[in-house]
Amino acid sequence: MNMNTKQLWKNCLVEIEAGISKANFSTWFKHTSIIKEDTGIIYIGVPNEFVRDWLINKYHKLITKTIADSYENMRAVEYSIIKIENNREAEREEVLPTGSEAYINKELPLKDLYINPEDNLNPRYRFDSFIVGGFNELAYAASQAIIDNPGTKYNPFFIYGGTGLGKTHLIQAVGNSIKEKYPNKKAHYMTLEKFATDFISSLQSNKANSFKEKYRKYDLLVIDDIQFIGKMEKIQEELFHTFNTFHEANKQIIFSSDKHPNYIPELADRLKSRFAAGMIVDISPPEYESRLAILKVKLQELNIDLDKEIVEYVASAVEGNIRELEGSLNIIVCQYRLKNRPLSLAEVKNLLKNNMKPKKNMAIKDVVKIVSEYYKLEETSVYEKTRKKEIVRARQVVMYLLREDFNVSYPLIGQKLGGKDHTTVIHSCIKIKNDLKNDPQLMQELEQIRIMFK
Amino acid sequence: MKLECKIEEIKNKILQVERITGKNLTLPVLNSILLIASGKSLKLRATNLSLGIEVEIPAKIEEEGMVAISGSVLSGIFSNVFQNENVFLENVDGNLLIKTKKSKIKLKGQSHDDFPTIPRVVGTSFEIESKKLIDGIKSVYYSSSVSDIKPEISSVFIHTNEENLVFVSTDSFRLAEKKIKSKGVPEIQGILIPFKNISEILRVFGENSSVITVCFNKNQISFSSDDIYLTSRVIDGVFPDYRQIIPKTSTTNAVLLKQDLLSALKLSNIFSDKFNQVNLKVTPKEKVFELSSNNNDIGENKTYLDAALTGESIELGFNYKYFLDCFQSINTDSISIKFSGASSPLVVSPVSDTSFTYLIMPMNR
Repeated sequence: MNMNTKQLWKNCLVEIEAGISKANFSTWFKHTSIIKEDTGIIYIGVPNEFVRDWLINKYHKLITKTIADSYENMRAVEYSIIKIENNREAEREEVLPTGSEAYINKELPLKDLYINPEDNLNPRYRFDSFIVGGFNELAYAASQAIIDNPGTKYNPFFIYGGTGLGKTHLIQAVGNSIKEKYPNKKAHYMTLEKFATDFISSLQSNKANSFKEKYRKYDLLVIDDIQFIGKMEKIQEELFHTFNTFHEANKQIIFSSDKHPNYIPELADRLKSRFAAGMIVDISPPEYESRLAILKVKLQELNIDLDKEIVEYVASAVEGNIRELEGSLNIIVCQYRLKNRPLSLAEVKNLLKNNMKPKKNMAIKDVVKIVSEYYKLEETSVYEKTRKKEIVRARQVVMYLLREDFNVSYPLIGQKLGGKDHTTVIHSCIKIKNDLKNDPQLMQELEQIRIMFK
Repeated sequence: MKLECKIEEIKNKILQVERITGKNLTLPVLNSILLIASGKSLKLRATNLSLGIEVEIPAKIEEEGMVAISGSVLSGIFSNVFQNENVFLENVDGNLLIKTKKSKIKLKGQSHDDFPTIPRVVGTSFEIESKKLIDGIKSVYYSSSVSDIKPEISSVFIHTNEENLVFVSTDSFRLAEKKIKSKGVPEIQGILIPFKNISEILRVFGENSSVITVCFNKNQISFSSDDIYLTSRVIDGVFPDYRQIIPKTSTTNAVLLKQDLLSALKLSNIFSDKFNQVNLKVTPKEKVFELSSNNNDIGENKTYLDAALTGESIELGFNYKYFLDCFQSINTDSISIKFSGASSPLVVSPVSDTSFTYLIMPMNR
């Protein structure tokens, strides 16, 4: 039965008010509400324990009877304490600056902790705000399966992908969902670095045992950025034991990394094989459509309407990771608010010009060298006049990269690469750009080449 | 209800309990104290719906029962009238008769049906000597914010760190942290006790020297000794991550006598402006520690103090009040001040005592 709990409680309050004195009513029933109804149990939210105690002791019968009168499916009434949101948000902003002290005395740079200290999960990371596209479909599906069967379906769950693609978002969202779905399961999120520093400090204070206990009491352990574990032999060993304990007890464990476990340097074989035992999925950079979808969702969140043309431009221009995408969008939104008028496409292009990619200085020769090495070609063949398919492709990639990443002019690129006309270069760049939109293989190749530039 | 007990006992307890009665609440019965006679004791109960207290007084009970009497009236009577002897209390038709050898008083009672119960906290519990608890709270509570715009910092934050019970307060201009060694305390993620309730907790247990059982859950905390049960609501919120703002290194260090600095600050105060600003100049090379303040209407003042100085020279201003506050928590003769630049907080601590740390934010000039 779909009922309106708000209306129900309102009706009940009217009846209760008639039955008791005004003073009692306003003391005990102010700030109460029905939080939810679950299989006939009505949960009433109260502001504190004093009120809860007294409602149970004194008014329980009255409340039960009143609710039962207007809602026949009721089986029981429970009380729980809820946080009263103080409606002073607006006031807060006004009050602070008027205090003369606030002007002259600097505040300590205290930051609010939004992260729950018990499980370290950031409540902001939820599946509601997670955008699923071709690039992360598999990871999303696997994580949903884990939420349904934690500890048994895919254990461990190992997720890898480049920076800023939403790994942390995904694994934290899994933690948050499991916490919601199974309230008595204890989840814990941490980065590998935290695990390592904890371990070292426990060694220093001779409390290695309490360290073991600390983590083993959780039902779900999420470890982020595990790739740094190479070279940390002792930590690997400790993680290995922790892992075994979790796995034996059918407790879920989730890792994220920017590399496949096979490519994590100096990772012990026993850990490698254990990581592989569950589920390894990768998140690749979002393709054009997903980027477009992400931008649209972000714009909706910000409640800003941008031209379709601009959104499409940003989605095609800012490739690679989602974090950069968000950054670019922030720049545009900031300008939009500053100027208080819609921006033109030219303005947007201008804004993003400097923010899109870090401009590095690299000799054209070196770029050619790296690309030809990557494609396992003779360096000289790129300069030759040949139409062999693989060489043409490599040459186009060189041109594209020179133009996009290093901002070399079209005529200069042409001149350096065996005296090509600048229109040839333009054609190559456009071709690669278009291919990138629907060729994930190419995108990965470029990604890897770019890493080699660093 | 009919009973006999010692005046001295009931007087002290009534004065203690009366402070916690609800004032200006819509429910009039909350400004009264509920007297409950049962078994071998008389219980006094009061609450303002943020704090609740129940104390026990040994008494000879002839007849069990209860009555609610206005707290201010009771405290007025007991703080003035009686000598040290026994008193007889009797409930006749809802009124309270108070009899001693030399006086007879009849008080109008209020309906006790509406007097609420006090929550019994169920949750994690541990024992601690009241001296330690009070010391911890007293060392920091003056730093908490008095406005209730941000309830999280208008509180004393208690958590555990290794084998310490850590007390922290801040109003975002200064911050005090006190660590108390305490074995056997379970891990506490964080309890926020409202600032408004802190002074009552200090008053009730300040003189006490027994062991207190503390019990807490997410909504409520209780403190109980042999004859007192005090419970307070806790703030549902998260204290800011203060640890990261405590500077870990310093560029300038000063060690000086507490008494010297105290007198110098008091002197500077006479000349300080309406923002309580006092300027500090430290030049380790020339061994100068200078406090100065000036006021256009009064004049100006400079004081030079003997201090052991190391590091770079620095010059900054601060609110002398914030500095004075922390002296109550420092019991050593000399104090250490660490600077790490003109715009980061100064760290004040007792020399050779790491349990107390105090941060002061400098002022903008």
